[in-house]
Amino acid sequence: MNPAEELKYALPNSVISVGVQTNKPLAVIRKEDLLKVAEKVKEMGFDNLSVITGVDRFDRIEVIYNLFSYKKKQNLALKVILDHSSPEVDSVTSIWKVADWLERETYDLVGVKFNGHPDLKRILLPEGWIGHPLRKDYDMSTEQFVTIGEDGEDIVSTDGSNLLRRK
Amino acid sequence: METETLLLNMGPVHPSTHGVLRFKLRMDGEIIRDCQIVVGYLHRGTEKFGEMKTYLQFIPYTDRLDYIAAMPNNYAYVKAVEELAGIEVPLRAEYIRVLVMELNRIINHLVMMGSLLLDLGGSTMIMYGFRERETALQMYEMLCGARMTFNYVKPGGVREDLPEGFMPKLNEFIKDMEKRIVDYEELVNGNEIFLMRTKNIGVISAEEAINYGMTGPSMRGSGVDYDIRKVEPYSIYSDLDFKACMCREGDSYARYLVRVDEMRESLHILRQIADTIPEGKTVNQRYGMAPNTGAPSSVMSYFPRIFTPAEGEVYSRIEAPKGELGFFVASDGTTKPYRVKIRSPSFCNLVALPKMVLGLKIPDLIAAFGTIDIVLGDVDR
Repeated sequence: MNPAEELKYALPNSVISVGVQTNKPLAVIRKEDLLKVAEKVKEMGFDNLSVITGVDRFDRIEVIYNLFSYKKKQNLALKVILDHSSPEVDSVTSIWKVADWLERETYDLVGVKFNGHPDLKRILLPEGWIGHPLRKDYDMSTEQFVTIGEDGEDIVSTDGSNLLRRK
Repeated sequence: METETLLLNMGPVHPSTHGVLRFKLRMDGEIIRDCQIVVGYLHRGTEKFGEMKTYLQFIPYTDRLDYIAAMPNNYAYVKAVEELAGIEVPLRAEYIRVLVMELNRIINHLVMMGSLLLDLGGSTMIMYGFRERETALQMYEMLCGARMTFNYVKPGGVREDLPEGFMPKLNEFIKDMEKRIVDYEELVNGNEIFLMRTKNIGVISAEEAINYGMTGPSMRGSGVDYDIRKVEPYSIYSDLDFKACMCREGDSYARYLVRVDEMRESLHILRQIADTIPEGKTVNQRYGMAPNTGAPSSVMSYFPRIFTPAEGEVYSRIEAPKGELGFFVASDGTTKPYRVKIRSPSFCNLVALPKMVLGLKIPDLIAAFGTIDIVLGDVDR
């Protein structure tokens, strides 16, 4: 029994389906139960959260958690499916500390809101950036300019006319 | 006694931050009470580029992530694509890939040692490190014409076979390095100032290192016996004899020692490859044509420009010099990836830094930060 099936056996109501992510077992779980499932898989020995990936699928947003167990040397991927209009899911920072930055990155670039995150703000882009670049409907034609304000904070604007630019 | 705390800004332009990284420190006298890291100054949107380029066109962008050691980036992405599309690779190509990656690991650790010592006030090591690095870079130049941004590993093989005169140069390099690592150890390991600056500085336990998502040599310095080359062997690593280097202390000095040992292991791997590399093709014929080595004009092999892997998702990871480097690639059956996600070791290793430096002084922050070994191109992507 692979870890995804094990999880399905332990929490039959939370796991929607079991599949594969090419060569890794994958469990699709109900978004409301993410925290419960995360606690369970941590108990099962999955102590390392490798990566959190957000994927925009037009009608939905998928968030994929790739986990690894140092004790059992096993892989497991978890997937939650969120609404496209308001993607929200519980934060797993209380279980894996590395999720702090990974969730901030997913929030920044894909626009997924993680409820319960201690400090959910943009990480790679400056605060005030318009849109989330890795959404498929991101507006690439509007240029955005970043300047530094009086107190050293970033100021984002779509008006670059006051900047020095080579003619 | 309670004193007023001072907010101190360090970076983004600071010689010890190895690029554009900014620390916001809350200081109580000389003691760090809080450390916030601000990243993103070098963000170029590499993942968005991945969606806009074809599978092959994206390979040069991976060179610009961790530019100190670009070959593992090439390979990690290509490995993900190969797993997605089910492409097989000839044995000789696998040997060449491991050869260039291990050479890059040595380069990476030399640069890390050099810049760490430079940050701590010793300027000799960086001269030595860059001298050896130069030899290795010249070998890369022979191999693919580039010194740092290679674009060498391709789906189904490598771009070119080893050129004439490469193997003798490699053997010479291995012989030199073996002696020189001993020199470095004599120079650095017992140095009293270095020991005082790094021992018991930035300590992190094994459980914390795992929970904070540390990987690679930084984590093995905390005594976690884990190396992706051992646990999930890819390429030809299962046939090679090497050990995962490890230290138990979890401080800056331990993280430094792990890297010195890793250079030795990499040399050992290089020696085995030099002895056993098989003859044969360097590219899978089904996915590309091998170069016609007879004609002087044919310096490039021809890979199909267009790939269409079947619909699917893959997360594939390798042991890069800095830690776990993973690529998540999703395909929707077209010529371009639907989504590329880069799990970079530098980004995830940085999460633990604020935890490590609480209660220390600013010079200790430099030592702890230097031994985590990050590259900002890899952090900001």
